[in-house]
Amino acid sequence: MPFLLASAVKDLRRRARDPLSLLLWVAIPLVTGLLLDLAFGSEGSGPSAHLLVADRDDSLVSGLLVGAFSQGELGELTRVEEVDAPAGRRRIEAGDASALLVIPPGFGADALAGRTSTLTLIRNPAQQILPDILEESLGLMLEAAFYLRQLARAPIALFSTAGLPSGAATYPDSTVASGAVTINELVARVQPYLFPPVIGLETAEPEPDARAERGFAELFFPGMVFLALLFMARGMSEDVWRERAQGTLRRAVVSPRGLGEFLGGKLLAGAVLLAVVGVAALLAGRFLFGLDLRGVALAVLWITFAGTAMLALFVLVQLHATSERAGDVLTTAVLFPLAMAGGSFFPFDVMPGWMAAIGRRTPNGWALDELSRILSGQSDLAGLAAAFAGVLAVAVAAFLLALRRLRSGFATGG
Amino acid sequence: MIQVESLRKEYDGVVAVDDVSFTAGAGEVFGLLGPNGAGKSTTIGCISGLLSPTAGRIRVLGHDVMRDSRSAKSALGVVPQEIAVYEDASAEENVTYWGRAYGLRGGRLRARTSAALELAGLGDRAREPVKRFSGGMKRRLNFACGIVHEPRVLLLDEPTVGVDPQSRVRLLDLVREQAGAGTCVLYTTHYMEEAESLCDRLAIVDRGRVIASGTLEELRTLTAERDLVRLTGRFDPAAVSAGLAAAVPGVEVVSTDAAHLTVSVEEGSRRLPALFSALASLGAEIRETTLTRPSLESLFIKLTGKQLRE
Repeated sequence: MPFLLASAVKDLRRRARDPLSLLLWVAIPLVTGLLLDLAFGSEGSGPSAHLLVADRDDSLVSGLLVGAFSQGELGELTRVEEVDAPAGRRRIEAGDASALLVIPPGFGADALAGRTSTLTLIRNPAQQILPDILEESLGLMLEAAFYLRQLARAPIALFSTAGLPSGAATYPDSTVASGAVTINELVARVQPYLFPPVIGLETAEPEPDARAERGFAELFFPGMVFLALLFMARGMSEDVWRERAQGTLRRAVVSPRGLGEFLGGKLLAGAVLLAVVGVAALLAGRFLFGLDLRGVALAVLWITFAGTAMLALFVLVQLHATSERAGDVLTTAVLFPLAMAGGSFFPFDVMPGWMAAIGRRTPNGWALDELSRILSGQSDLAGLAAAFAGVLAVAVAAFLLALRRLRSGFATGG
Repeated sequence: MIQVESLRKEYDGVVAVDDVSFTAGAGEVFGLLGPNGAGKSTTIGCISGLLSPTAGRIRVLGHDVMRDSRSAKSALGVVPQEIAVYEDASAEENVTYWGRAYGLRGGRLRARTSAALELAGLGDRAREPVKRFSGGMKRRLNFACGIVHEPRVLLLDEPTVGVDPQSRVRLLDLVREQAGAGTCVLYTTHYMEEAESLCDRLAIVDRGRVIASGTLEELRTLTAERDLVRLTGRFDPAAVSAGLAAAVPGVEVVSTDAAHLTVSVEEGSRRLPALFSALASLGAEIRETTLTRPSLESLFIKLTGKQLRE
């Protein structure tokens, strides 16, 4: 086994004996991602209200009212479940829904006859916004029903006062025809107000923004991955101080194989660990967050390349510090601004434009953007090749500079 | 096997090693004896390639350590003063790894790892993590890592510092075994008794310079078989320096201050009454007296005016 590989195996074995630090580096971003997912959901639909309905009237009108909660955008926001009133109260007390709507018997008849009727909405006190939305929506519906009843008083009266003939399942044709004529006259009367011919309304919908369609987990996921890479790269870079303190770096200097293979082995071990973490992160993204990931193999390769380049850069920073403590402070001072600006804490999509523009120009921000493109299948071959070449060049340059610093006295305490 | 010629090493203008020259051959234990900070470790550092000499030339088996460092390093085994092993790895993993660093592979690597661990008395603890080892065991592992590739030249930099007596005896035996097998050993120490029991030839260094060198017998002759008498009390340095030699013929003042006096004298025990009498007449007050027979210690004191451990 060449000394380069032996050095990498040696470092991997040492890491395997200290799994806690490795787990911590990975766990912090993963736990953050999980919390975000739990808080906002991975479907990207945002929060939804759960409305329990106890319809004790079971009339056409009450059915229309309940059905209105399932229509249009309100329907996307609200999940309606029919229950009986006692069960609904118990569930509200248990905090199992946003609100309970109780429709009293005779509500439909009262509404058609213009008599006062009382609906009861019991809110879940543990929730703030969702019960508010339901209450406001119910208020709007009742107001609309009032105006509709005023406008359609005649056809309503026709049906409500005539009622079904005894023994008939449907209204007689004469009543239906009369009602149709009345409604037609009503529509003709209000047409100028509802469909004013002088005002043309053109509705233009912009192309759906692909980013806006993305869920929270998908939005945060690449950033979380890069946060883990940054933590790992920084943590592993501290090993040069450990090697110096325990004298093994000096031993490496006096061995004929020298420092090149020694340092190369360290980066190689780091690359293996980064690849393992990359695979684990992508699996977690798929199975925990349900992300639709494309180009997984390419993404792992990219994570490994970018992470190794970051490791080489952090090693370079450590080697220029005056002490282990200074190295710790210096790399931390580098890590957090890079993570914040580079999209690991806040996705570029939610940053102000100027900040996102700066963030995308940081090394990790640029690499993160590339990962997002790979995962969404938007990367092109030429761009990818250039990106890999760029990362490789950075890694090699950092490696050579680090090697130079090692040889120029770091190993001997200079 | 080792040739050091006019070696000089400066750190930021401070001279750590100045004009040091010596040679050491196969099967020989050559000692560098001197107090802490004398330049011993710097000399070892320059030979091993850890440090770049400011001037001078060093050859190991004919290879210039600066121009042909890889060949020179391949011939060297280094046991540094600080324990240099991976505490989070096993003893076997440590020795194997450093064996690979010297090009050992396959069956030979396994055989040499096993042999080095057995030599160091760690054969039965080979698979244990080093962090469970005692200080002495770590020292022996440090030694095993340095000899795993059977180096023809072995550099040992104070390998017994902080070691329990049992491990120390074992380490010294190991050094003798290596030399007995034809290895050239360069051994630095500030323990006089180690140097006397182990080294075939010695160079005594102080403040970066070699102040005496030769075999043990050659060095002992430099003391002219004179005893050292060290006195503690109250002295007038000027009066003692001027009058003692005249008052007691054959006495030589090595060093003196207001509280200490060191003199060299032949047959010291017989001359003590005359010495005390002369000092009393010079106004001295004596509280404690120590007489040392001729040794490296007395030679060192004679040459430098101070003790090795000062």
